[in-house]
Amino acid sequence: MRGEPVEIRIADTAVRAYGGESIAAAALASGTRVMSRSLKYHRPRTFFCLEGHCSGCLVRLDGVPNLRACQTPCTPGAEAAGQNAFPSAEVDLLGAVDFLFSRGLDHHTLMTSSSVLNKLANKVVRQLSGLGKLPARGAVTLPAVGERRVDVCVIGGGPAGLAAATACASAGKSVVLVDDQLAAGGSLRADPTTGRDAANARVAEALSAGIELLGRSTAIGYFPEDDPDPAALHAAADQAKAAALSVAAGAGSSSEPAVHGPRGVLAVATPDQLVRIHARAWIWATGGYPVNLPFADNDRPGVIAARAVGRLLVDHGILGGDKVCIVEVPQLAAETDALAAALVTAGAEVTRVGLDDTHGTRGRSWVSSVETTRGRVDCDLVAVAAIPSPASEGPRQQGCAVVLDPEAGGFRVVVDELGRTTAANVWACGDVTGYVGPERATAHGTRVGASVATTLAKPEMR
Amino acid sequence: MAKKIVLCRCEDVTLSDLEHCVDRGYLDIEEVKRYTGFGTGPCQGKECLGPMATQLARLTKQAPAAIPPFTSRPPIAPTPIKLLANAPDAHRFDDDLEPRRAGTVPGVGVTK
Repeated sequence: MRGEPVEIRIADTAVRAYGGESIAAAALASGTRVMSRSLKYHRPRTFFCLEGHCSGCLVRLDGVPNLRACQTPCTPGAEAAGQNAFPSAEVDLLGAVDFLFSRGLDHHTLMTSSSVLNKLANKVVRQLSGLGKLPARGAVTLPAVGERRVDVCVIGGGPAGLAAATACASAGKSVVLVDDQLAAGGSLRADPTTGRDAANARVAEALSAGIELLGRSTAIGYFPEDDPDPAALHAAADQAKAAALSVAAGAGSSSEPAVHGPRGVLAVATPDQLVRIHARAWIWATGGYPVNLPFADNDRPGVIAARAVGRLLVDHGILGGDKVCIVEVPQLAAETDALAAALVTAGAEVTRVGLDDTHGTRGRSWVSSVETTRGRVDCDLVAVAAIPSPASEGPRQQGCAVVLDPEAGGFRVVVDELGRTTAANVWACGDVTGYVGPERATAHGTRVGASVATTLAKPEMR
Repeated sequence: MAKKIVLCRCEDVTLSDLEHCVDRGYLDIEEVKRYTGFGTGPCQGKECLGPMATQLARLTKQAPAAIPPFTSRPPIAPTPIKLLANAPDAHRFDDDLEPRRAGTVPGVGVTK
C-alpha cells in the first residue's frame, strides 16, 4: 500500500504522507484527530470504520465538500480541511449546544411556543445545521455513462466476493466484481491472521481467472424498471457488437446470441463515471459494516471499530494507539484474541473489557480513559469489537428477504444452503448472510460461486 | 461532552431519544426514523439501522424477526451528482443517447 512520500495539507498543516494511502491514515499517523462536528450537538467527529461506510471522516478536499477521508488517496499537494465547525473542527464554539441540551433535544417541540420565536429559531438552526458548504466551483466535465453486460456481477471484493468471482470465472463465466474500497480484499486487509499479502494474493488469483475488477466503485442502486425491453435492447446491442467484431476480423460471426430475461440495471459509481451493469446472475458479498456498541459517550473521537484498528495495523502499518482498550462482545472472542495479540506484538498495551462491564468514556476531543466496573482504564484508543451489521441495502433493493437477527449484527439476507436468496437470479454469501468471519466467508463464496456457475449452465437459464 | 449513548452518529440520535420516541407511542421502525431522523444522514443507516432496530425490539418487547428494516433507496453511498447527469432516463431513453455537456443541464456544471 505504501507509495512514494508526498506532502499534503490537513487543516492548514503540512503532513508527510505516502502516495496511495488514504487521507484518514495520513491524518491519524500525523496526529490530526478531529475531522468534523456532528450535525445537531456539534460533538467532535472523526474516523470510526475506515471503510467508507460511516460519516465520521467527511472532509472538504480541494474545495469539494463531504468526501470520505478514508476512501480518498493522498495526492501531492492535496488540501483537506475539516467542516461543520466554527472556527475549526478541533475548537468549535457551537459545541455549547451539546451542553445546553445535555438531556437531549426534541426538534419537534423546540421553540414552538410562539410563532415569532419559532421563525427566529428556524433561521438560526438553518445556519447551524447542514453538511458542509457548496463546492468552490461547478463540475467542468460531465462524464459519459458506461455499460457492462456480463454473466455474473459480484458485489463486494472481500473474502466471500473474491472467492465467488474466482469460482464463476474459472467456470468460464464473464464476471465483473464491484469493490468500494481503496484496495480490494475486504476484511482480509484487517485480519492479523491472514494479513495484507493474503488479500493481494486472492485479488491476483481472481484477476488471473479473468474477472474484471471495478475498484473504488460502489453499487449505488438497483433499478428494476430501467430495462423496459431487455431482449430487444440487448439483441440489438449484441448484433451491433458482433457485426463490428466480424467486420474487424474480416470473418463471419461465430458468437452465440445472448438472451437475457427481464432484468433491471445495477448502477455503479466508479471514480470517473457511472456504469450500468446488466447481469444474468447477481451475487451479493458486501459483508458487514463495523458498528458501535451502546455505552456512554461511545461517539467520542478515539473510539473506533476494532476492525479499523486491525486495518490500520495490517494494511497501513500504523499502530493506532499506545494504550488500547478493547470493548468487546463474547461472540467475537477469537477475532479479538488475534487483534489483541497483534497489538501487543506491535508494542501496545492492551486492556480488554466486556460491554456489560463498560460504563463509558472520558476525555475531551479524544478519549483518555474508559470507566468500567473494575475501575478506570487509561487509554489513548478504544477499539469496539461488535458484530458487523450485514450490508443488505442492495439485496433489499433487489427484493431479497432479510431478517433482523441480533446475533448476526442486524438485517441479514435470508439464503438457502446454496446461497440462493428469495429473489430470482440473486445469490448472497459471506457476512451479508450473517457474520461468519473471513475464513468461513471464503469457503462460502467458493461454494456459492460454483453453484451459480452450474445454474447458469442449465438450458433454461440460457 | 455531555454524557450521551449515541446510536446514530450522523444525526446525533441517542438511546434516550429512542426511549422518548417509544414513550410517545412511535413503535414502528419507519415511525422512529421519521421522528428521530436516525438513518437519514450521510451513512443512510449503515452504522445505525442494525443497532437501532435491536434496541427497538428490546424496548418494545417485540421479537426481532417481527421488525422489518426501513426501505433502502438509491444512492446507497454518497455519489457526486455529476456522475448521474448523463444517466439515461428510462422514460426518455432515445433522447439521451447523445451525452450532455457541462452547461447544458440547467444549474449543473455551469462554470462562471
